Amino acid sequence: MTPNATPVCESRRAALLCEPSGLHPGLWRAAGQPVGPAGAGVLPSGFAALDAELPGGGWPVRVLSELLLPEPGVGEIRLLAPMLARLARAGRSVMLFDPPAEVNAVALAELGWPAGQCIVVRSAAAPAASGPPRTSAPQRPVPASRRAPGAPASTWAVEQALRSGQAGAVLAWPGRAARPEALRRLQLAAPAHEGPAFRLRVVASARQPSPAPLRLALQPAGGDELWLQVVKRRGPAMSQPLRLALAPVLSERALAKARALQAGWRPASLVDAPSRPFAA
Amino acid sequence: MLWVALHLPALSLEAFSALLGPDKAAQPTALVAQHRIEAVNPVAAALGVAPGMKRATALALAPDLLLGVADPLRDAEALQAVAHALLAFTPTVVPVPPCGLLAEVQASLRCFGGAARLWSRMADAVVPLGHCVQRAHAPTALGALLLARARDEPEPPSHLTRSALCSSDPAWAALHQHLLGLPAVWLAADEAACAQLEAMGLRTLGDLRRQPRAGLARRFGPGLLLALDRAWGTVPDPLEPIAPPLRFHSHAELWARADDTDALLAGAQVLLARLVAWAQARHARVQSFALLLHHESRLRANAQGEAGAHVSRLDIVLAEPTGDARHLHAVLRERLARELLAAPVLSLGLVCDTPVLGPPPDGELFPSLAGQREGLLRLAERLQARLGADAVQRLAVQADHRPERATLRQAIVGSPPDAMAGTAPQSAPQRLTRPAWLLPEPRPLPERQARPWLDGQPLHLLAGPERIESGWWDGDLVCRDYFIAQAPAGPLLWVYRLRPAPPQGEPGWFLHGRFG
Repeated sequence: MTPNATPVCESRRAALLCEPSGLHPGLWRAAGQPVGPAGAGVLPSGFAALDAELPGGGWPVRVLSELLLPEPGVGEIRLLAPMLARLARAGRSVMLFDPPAEVNAVALAELGWPAGQCIVVRSAAAPAASGPPRTSAPQRPVPASRRAPGAPASTWAVEQALRSGQAGAVLAWPGRAARPEALRRLQLAAPAHEGPAFRLRVVASARQPSPAPLRLALQPAGGDELWLQVVKRRGPAMSQPLRLALAPVLSERALAKARALQAGWRPASLVDAPSRPFAA
Repeated sequence: MLWVALHLPALSLEAFSALLGPDKAAQPTALVAQHRIEAVNPVAAALGVAPGMKRATALALAPDLLLGVADPLRDAEALQAVAHALLAFTPTVVPVPPCGLLAEVQASLRCFGGAARLWSRMADAVVPLGHCVQRAHAPTALGALLLARARDEPEPPSHLTRSALCSSDPAWAALHQHLLGLPAVWLAADEAACAQLEAMGLRTLGDLRRQPRAGLARRFGPGLLLALDRAWGTVPDPLEPIAPPLRFHSHAELWARADDTDALLAGAQVLLARLVAWAQARHARVQSFALLLHHESRLRANAQGEAGAHVSRLDIVLAEPTGDARHLHAVLRERLARELLAAPVLSLGLVCDTPVLGPPPDGELFPSLAGQREGLLRLAERLQARLGADAVQRLAVQADHRPERATLRQAIVGSPPDAMAGTAPQSAPQRLTRPAWLLPEPRPLPERQARPWLDGQPLHLLAGPERIESGWWDGDLVCRDYFIAQAPAGPLLWVYRLRPAPPQGEPGWFLHGRFG
């Protein structure tokens, strides 16, 4: 710092220290308020309480976020539906890779999501890669060659969709193929994709490390509510899980009955230890 | 009349090398005909291999020489592909076997913006086919052909934009001037005539012109004089232009027996380049084609010992017609990657019966929704080529009360393009009545204490019953009472009870969906 720095430089320096992401997109503040105006790189989620907890004020684009569920069907579609419905109505398509069950188009229409913009890709029928090709012997079929021996077809499909940049949003259910090197390949392909990308995993605990910059753990809270804990984000650790009210399914009477059943029951936390912002 | 001649001096060698693949480009290659070397590539020539040598001599000079057999059919197909590429510029294209092409471009000069632009566009069209070309233009066809043979590098675009038919034009004078110095044996019909010309000391075309015409006609026949007059332009030279065939069928024999699909890709690329050239000649685009794999027939005998058909066919259908060779190659590569070869492949064929005629749609300067849709379709084509025809599906709502039939799933390639517009959705989420996840098969649940149990936990019925009775008209009658249930862990489930109640021992409660 030169002795005769002008006040303009001083104020600019102070502003950069307060908001380091203005200097480089890879910089972010570890402590302090994560809430900020929704920048160009986020999509509002439709839930004000969730936007307050997500860095930037919404779902991040061009990165692969992870949602950890105890089982499929706890409310993840209703959580993502406001943002995805807005994307679909704007004409972008949403691609689902290997969903755990059949997607019901009537339910999507009720959530405000046009079903025509929803594309489902199933790679389960593709033959699994088996290693380098063997030469043929008479009377035996010759196996086809593989360019990337060992890479499952589902990871390849998600990578192609991310790299092409044509999909509006990508939701992937990796299932058993959730391997770290596959996730690293998808992270490298994610910046080419102009929209949010989510990887939904069914896990018992969130302890397995993952390079995704945003990780959320979801648990059903009975009725139409969802316990949500941000396991990892670019910002301070989340102290208390968040209870979100999703799109209603039950009437008031049914909701009262559900609450009565769930009274006093708190689910076992998916997160065993408080997460630190630098835990990868 | 302005004739452009293309001379492809290494056509046969390049047609052979294209089938080897890019990894063998640096190896010495030669073609053999009747036990003698006929053509060599620059790498082999540097090692000392020359045309006219015997095989053994050539192999002694270059032990890793790749030898191929000279095949006039293969050369003819390669020449036809270049002719098709030129047909995009003018309708009058005449192939002159073994390795020449003529095109009359007087009428195309204004359309393409002048001679210089036309030459560069012709060069761009011929480059994907991978041949080195010597080009020349002249007012006469045969004159242009002879000049092209004499060139070492393509000539720069000259000021010849219009040339009249009178022979006092400076273009004609330049032509005659250049022709005088060319070798006379190029006009000779056979070896005997060549020997006779050399014996008589007639080395150039100028020498031939100075001889008395009656004497030349008596010694060599009328053919030589006719060729000379045609080159000089004093006698008309009617030529028959070719027309592109209505159906495309091309064949390529692989250099080595292909045991896996990677080895097929080089040959397939050659065939795809020819397909794209033919489609451009017909002013059409390609939407569907078929790759034929010719196997060794004796390995295809089935269990009873009868020899089956030794051709397998791979049909490839695209969502939208395209003239882009790279996209076709990408789709074919993905399709071949998941294909199981029944037997080793000896040669490939490519057939296209129905091109889509008509000009291509206009390109876009700024990305728009329509451009994104096309990009999405290309991505879907690639995914389908790799994962299977039914792997990529688009959803639509069908009006049916039965939940399992309310969602229509269509393969994305082949569905009409205006299926993109979905039904007008409600903007604010009302109370949801249907679950986001539906199990493909309803799962039976045990019943204890008059309530269904899932995984050892009782389900509490919160809402219902919603009675659905439908489907008596197509034999799939559904009579169910649907309830929204909650598992003790918290998620909401959609279960139903059969109506009328099934007999004792059979499950009456089923899990059909989860509210995601």
